[in-house]
Amino acid sequence: MKAFANLRLKVYWPLYVMAIPGIAFLIVFKYIPLAGAVIAFKDYSVFKGILDSPWVGLKHFETLMQHPDFARVFGNTLMLGFLKLALVFPVPVLLALMINEIRKTALKKGIQTALYIPHFLSWVIVSGIVFDFFSLNGLFNIVLGWLGNEPLLAMQESGYFRPIYVLSSIWRDAGWGTVVYIAAISAIDPQLYESAMMDGASKFRQMRHITFPLLLPTVLVLFLLEIGNFLDLGFDQVYNLITPMTYSVGDILDTYVFRTGIQQAQYSFATAVGLFQSIIGLVMVYIFNRMSKKVSDGGLW
Amino acid sequence: MFEARREKIFVFGITIVLILFSIIALVPLLSVIATSFSSKSAVDMNLVTLWPKQFTLDSWGYIIDRPDLWKSFFLTLVTTLIGTALALLMTALLAYPLSKPEFRWGSVIMIGVVVAMIFKAPIVPYFLTVRAIGLYDNPLVLIIPHILNPFNLIIMRTFFKQFSKELEEAAFLEGCGYFRMLFQMVLPLSKAVLATLALFYGVVLWNQFQHPLFFLQNPDWFPLQIKIRQFITDDNVILAGVTSMIDQNYNERTLRAATVIFAIVPIIMVYPFLQKYFVKGAMIGSVKG
Repeated sequence: MKAFANLRLKVYWPLYVMAIPGIAFLIVFKYIPLAGAVIAFKDYSVFKGILDSPWVGLKHFETLMQHPDFARVFGNTLMLGFLKLALVFPVPVLLALMINEIRKTALKKGIQTALYIPHFLSWVIVSGIVFDFFSLNGLFNIVLGWLGNEPLLAMQESGYFRPIYVLSSIWRDAGWGTVVYIAAISAIDPQLYESAMMDGASKFRQMRHITFPLLLPTVLVLFLLEIGNFLDLGFDQVYNLITPMTYSVGDILDTYVFRTGIQQAQYSFATAVGLFQSIIGLVMVYIFNRMSKKVSDGGLW
Repeated sequence: MFEARREKIFVFGITIVLILFSIIALVPLLSVIATSFSSKSAVDMNLVTLWPKQFTLDSWGYIIDRPDLWKSFFLTLVTTLIGTALALLMTALLAYPLSKPEFRWGSVIMIGVVVAMIFKAPIVPYFLTVRAIGLYDNPLVLIIPHILNPFNLIIMRTFFKQFSKELEEAAFLEGCGYFRMLFQMVLPLSKAVLATLALFYGVVLWNQFQHPLFFLQNPDWFPLQIKIRQFITDDNVILAGVTSMIDQNYNERTLRAATVIFAIVPIIMVYPFLQKYFVKGAMIGSVKG
């Protein structure tokens, strides 16, 4: 038995050596920070370190619940998260169903390229484009002028922040979001369409009764993953699109954690906010997974 | 006959809608490009929509002459290139053992990878950890935190799993070890997945904003996105060095437009070369992952 183990080691040792850098990376950049989340239950001080800082139980969570800022920030986050699920999530599904109907390869490629490109631009760049679009002499106001309206500085109006958040999300990522769905559609058995055509089913009915139902499990899985990130709205996007005038509606948990945790160094408090955010995500996934199991057989686990 | 015509109208309608969406996707970009090549007065008179009016290169001339912008540009170019190469190496080194059934720790590590992908640590303990290992105000923070991504790792592992056992066994019997097998056989046959992941890692490295914002204080190390953000939001930065605006053919807006396009150009240039690979690669990952 020992000889066998030695032989194993002799042959397989390179595999273990190869894995070491990656494992070390995951421990340092993923698992230590995860474990470090315990400072939400401590009064972390830089001088004492994580282990020696005193336990304070749920003190920071209590502070957070009573903080007037927190209620506002949490409300903003919920609102944007809900809008994103309801208005942004379905767009790639519809786009993929439509792209699938186009048979001319060159045209299909061209459309996909145009729709994918914005995804590769950073939010700094996208916000630069958005600010330019809505500026006083920008395209938006030029078109408003043609229609006989007064110019409107949408980026500085709190009422426009949410629509701009939703539209910029769709503009940047909806095209790229179709990749997964197009892959799932291409895995559908072509025989199904052939027999449907024999029965005289139109393209639209094929889409409704074959493609869409067979795409649903993929949609469901992605929906559940999206729910888990429900409160994760994208720091870069909001930080770059927000202006002092839209703060009242645009300040979200991510920007709040940055301000309190990184800039003001209230480490334990901001960790509590972050942990709260993650826990809500997990609870949402759990609830929706149970619901989806009740209505259909699908689910994450 | 009637049926066939209705089919055609259905497909035609969808085509029109999609072409319209494609145009909408490109319109904001075209408008910024047009602004960057237009004169101050044309822009101020609302003449510029999708095509430059009173064409001028003055905004571009000013932007191209900004040494601080080039400094950030080259810093970002270097960190992106080194970071992408390192990331591909790190990812391959872990993905390869994970694709081998004889690797005993494989299934345990795989669970660890998936857990790392699903559970995101709160940002503050992450910040404290990265600071504790000496990456605060250190330009290496532009590279090291990005060189392994669990999702990309799973894509590469899935790809490696497709290789035929026979080929590797034959090489193995001839005394070819695992390292040589990875670098001389597996990787040269994995160009598609390497190109895909190079694009994914490269875009993250090029576009990174949060890490430099959180970790870098010294302006010498500001990467392109931070610089662009300053140009977009701070008139003092973008107009630094301009003595008088009156005799200039540009204004803040045309300069900003040129800055934005300046940062997009490299991405647009690499994109066509990688496009044929990345869709396939993204599919491998999405179907299995």
